[in-house]
Amino acid sequence: MALNIASSPHMSKPLRTSTVMQRVLLCALPGLAVQIAFFGWGTLFQVLLAMLTALISESAIMKLRARPVASALSDNSALLTALLIGVAVPPLAPWWLTVIGTAFAIIIVKQLYGGLGNNLFNPAMAAYVVLLIAFPVQMTSWVAPISIAEHSPQLLESLRIILAGTQISVADTFQQGIDGFTMATPLDTLRTDLSQGHVISDILQKSAFNGVVGAGWFWVNLAYLFGGLLMLKMRLIRWHISAGVLGALSICAAIGWMWEPATHVSPLMHLFSGATMLGAFFIATDPVTAATSNKGRVIFGAIIGLLVYLIRSYGGYPDAFAFAVLLANLTAPLLDYYIKPRTYGHGRASS
Amino acid sequence: MNLIDIIEQNTLWPLTGGIHPAEMKHLSNQTTIARLPLAKTFYIPLPQVGDSALLVVKVGDRVLKGQPLTKSAGAMYLAAHAPTSGLITAITPHASNHPSALPELTCIIEADGKDESVPYHSAAAQELSKEELIARIREAGIAGMGGAMFPSHIKLRPAAKIELLIINGVECEPYISSDDRLMREHAANIVAGIEIIQQLIGARRIVIAIEDNKAEAAAAMTSAIAQSAALKPIALVRVIPTKYPSGGEKQLIQIITGKEVPSGSIPAQLGIVVHNVGTAYAIRDAVVEGKPLIERVVTVTGGNIEQNGNYWLPIGTPVSHVLQQLKLRKDKQAQVIVGGPMMGYALPDANVPVLKGTNCLLIPKRNELTHASAERACIRCGECAQVCPASLLPQQLYWHAKAEEYDKANAFNLQDCIECGCCAFVCPSEIPLVKYYRVAKAAIRKDRAEKVQAEQAKIRFEARIARLEQEKQEREAKAKEAAERRKAAMNNDDKDAVAAALARVQAKKQAQATTAPSNDAIAAAVARAKAKKQQAISATDTATDDKKSQVAAAIARAKAKKAQASASDTSAASASTLDTPAQDSKQAQIAAAVARAKAKKAAQTAPAQNNEVADKLATDGVEQINSTNDKAARVAAAVARAKAKKTAATESSVESAEAPSTDQKAQVAAPDDKAARVAAAVARAKAKKAAQTDEQAASETTLTEAPATQEKADEKQAKIAAAIAKAKAKKAVLSGSDDAEQTEAMSKQADDNSESSSVSAADAKKARIAAAVAKAKAKKAAEQDNQENQS
Repeated sequence: MALNIASSPHMSKPLRTSTVMQRVLLCALPGLAVQIAFFGWGTLFQVLLAMLTALISESAIMKLRARPVASALSDNSALLTALLIGVAVPPLAPWWLTVIGTAFAIIIVKQLYGGLGNNLFNPAMAAYVVLLIAFPVQMTSWVAPISIAEHSPQLLESLRIILAGTQISVADTFQQGIDGFTMATPLDTLRTDLSQGHVISDILQKSAFNGVVGAGWFWVNLAYLFGGLLMLKMRLIRWHISAGVLGALSICAAIGWMWEPATHVSPLMHLFSGATMLGAFFIATDPVTAATSNKGRVIFGAIIGLLVYLIRSYGGYPDAFAFAVLLANLTAPLLDYYIKPRTYGHGRASS
Repeated sequence: MNLIDIIEQNTLWPLTGGIHPAEMKHLSNQTTIARLPLAKTFYIPLPQVGDSALLVVKVGDRVLKGQPLTKSAGAMYLAAHAPTSGLITAITPHASNHPSALPELTCIIEADGKDESVPYHSAAAQELSKEELIARIREAGIAGMGGAMFPSHIKLRPAAKIELLIINGVECEPYISSDDRLMREHAANIVAGIEIIQQLIGARRIVIAIEDNKAEAAAAMTSAIAQSAALKPIALVRVIPTKYPSGGEKQLIQIITGKEVPSGSIPAQLGIVVHNVGTAYAIRDAVVEGKPLIERVVTVTGGNIEQNGNYWLPIGTPVSHVLQQLKLRKDKQAQVIVGGPMMGYALPDANVPVLKGTNCLLIPKRNELTHASAERACIRCGECAQVCPASLLPQQLYWHAKAEEYDKANAFNLQDCIECGCCAFVCPSEIPLVKYYRVAKAAIRKDRAEKVQAEQAKIRFEARIARLEQEKQEREAKAKEAAERRKAAMNNDDKDAVAAALARVQAKKQAQATTAPSNDAIAAAVARAKAKKQQAISATDTATDDKKSQVAAAIARAKAKKAQASASDTSAASASTLDTPAQDSKQAQIAAAVARAKAKKAAQTAPAQNNEVADKLATDGVEQINSTNDKAARVAAAVARAKAKKTAATESSVESAEAPSTDQKAQVAAPDDKAARVAAAVARAKAKKAAQTDEQAASETTLTEAPATQEKADEKQAKIAAAIAKAKAKKAVLSGSDDAEQTEAMSKQADDNSESSSVSAADAKKARIAAAVAKAKAKKAAEQDNQENQS
């Protein structure tokens, strides 16, 4: 009788990588929906464009590397990267911006480092930084929230603007109202005005802010927070990194705010502005580029939170998640080396 | 905090990590433990035979149920018994119940179906001493029935004081329910077994740990404890949360006490001992009923079996028999797992026996446990680290194990991995992590074994080198000693010979002196001078010889002492070695005596000097030959000078009276003088020639022709005599020309002698000495003549 042999354990709980990625994508949907609601259809097109680019890039590079294409595509990791790039670029950014960014993320940052599990840097964030440095104008021209914009492009109009590929002409066409439908993000406005000597209370009276935090951004962040909590509930991520990010950011912001409220915004503003919630739950938690031990992950998150606060408050860029995540990625191997959990029977053995 | 306080506190500590796999125990725990028809053939593995057990049966023997097959030959002995009555058809290697199924020595019993048993001797446990209890447990072949199969009689005699006894009824693996059913149905017997264990180890507290998914078992155990007078005050049933792997020994200790067993040590160091409920049951059977461990409860379950349940299976029952009886479903991809789905191993062959540690046979349907799928890349999600009960970082271990960086894997405490399989269970990339760790562990084990072997080889090699070196030194010492003995013997012979020769020469000289009275005085003077000289030399020689002999004696004494010391070191050895120091010291004394004797003799026989020179030549080598020759020549010159002085003194007294006549004589003597010089030159040349030939010969002859030296010495003396004669002749020339012919004749004679001597090396020396003497004499005479002429 021929018996089938295998090594133990013979039992496993099927929660596969592809399932995990798929669920993370689903958890990001509320945030994406709110973003579309506030900033128009552009974001949806950007996400779809990024996903298409990601799948094509991944297939091509897997073929070049003579690896199975189907299994790489079916793990859904490329789609997640694409989603993050799609929601990070300005909604009406020219199509080539997204295509370049996504292709760079998949081909260079992920596959050339050895594919899933081997990349040193978060692909989406590396791509974002490349775009931000190479195309600063396009990358900082965010659209005005629908609620305060005089005019917002509709579905097909958005598509036409994206495919036209020139930001300038678009801006000319729609230059009306406060400052057309493109404007600086609240964080950008904040840092520009602060540098001009305004105080926080005055700045917050601007139309970009609805009293406390940026118009529209509050709800986007809230939606991503909801998605993040959903992921925690579904055990797709662990709490350590997110808690580290939000904890460090809150503490730093609180200290600054209490010390000099005129020039430092409240922790609430920090937590619900820009990419905070998206970054804390969907970007920083990428396991491949994070530390692996629980303690290490808390520290990893705290490094991101601290860097975000420092760059936002004192750096040259309005938002800082991409830079903070990349810098923290660099520390991950070191954290893994120095921060190991105490193994059973070692050290405090019999207390 | 001590263990008792901890137990009193009634708290449970959480298990680090762990998982909640589907339990699947309901498949098998619904029915009472049943029995199957006996198999036709039984396979009793005897892996200990030849190591710590001896075979007491042979092929063809009829054995009864419960009859021992082996007897003890070592501490780790685990008895094996016949599970039923039948005939031993073979004792041969047979496939083992092991993942490898590698054959091991197995006693194959053909059952006769009668199931006749040997009589069991029951006893009351309370009346037995500890030794008797241990003996009964040992003879019954009780082993840890949780799977480890460690001989229980060893674990029941812990070296350390045991505070806490934990009875493990956790059974955390999915599917398995053998302990569950045993506790439900035989709680009283298990408690009786626990009482015996307690009688042996005397723990202060007993905790029976049962998972909360076995409420019935816990209830049965609680009531059984309540009925035991001995255990009621100190034992309690502790129901712990269901979580895999709570049943691991280290994990259970952590849950019950909050303490961790230090890495690389055993629970007894913490004052804790853990026994399985099945083991307690078997101990009671062994002690109270005298029944050896020949059957156990085995859960047979899984989707490919129609009658899931627990069965009393005799140890040695082939797995294939069980599958056949329980109606294995047809499946080309059939899998038989021994143990649970988490830590059990798949059998490559079903024709292997049930063992004492076999608690479950799991025969799953295809895709019942997991869907076979390909391993994917690790995404470092860290889920494995979350569930690891040992708090390891499995993804790092995997990384290093895969890269074969075993030292780094070790740095991440790979050796503390208990292979529970939690990490692989949760891995989203379905990486068979435990397999990687097993491979890495095996490689590390192999590496360590090789290192140990290399270390031993190095020690062996170094010991061999040391031994060879010692042997070499001993050989050299022996050779040296032999050489010294030979030399000593040679010296004695030489001296005797020289002494004899000298005596003969003296006699000859006297004879010559009678024929040539005119030379008498000179000859006497020469002899005297020589004697003086030799005395002077011998005085120093004696001194040095004395010293030498003393040194030799001291060395001999030291050697004797050393020999004695070494002998006392090895005094435990045979008697013959005890004799050696005595012999050695005797030898040393003899050597010392010999040395002293030599010294004395040397002092007595001064002419030995020449021999010593020869010895020196022999030992010091060719380079020194010239210098020693020079020395000899100088000695000879000194001798000559002494002689010359003396002659001068005598002549001046005699010839001063004839002063006027000597003027004329001096003129006449001039040509004679020339003749004398010519003779001297001839002698010199001959001496030189002899010296040239002797350079190599000197050493050879003195070393190899020791017996012949007696004869040669005679020749030597003769030549010396000849040389002296020649010198005398010259003297005669000086004193007057009347004896010219005679002188010529004598010098001729001397030449002849010299010629004959040139064959022998040692003779040449003599010739040279003689020549030198002659030369010196001639010179002296010439000077005197000149002085006389001037005056």
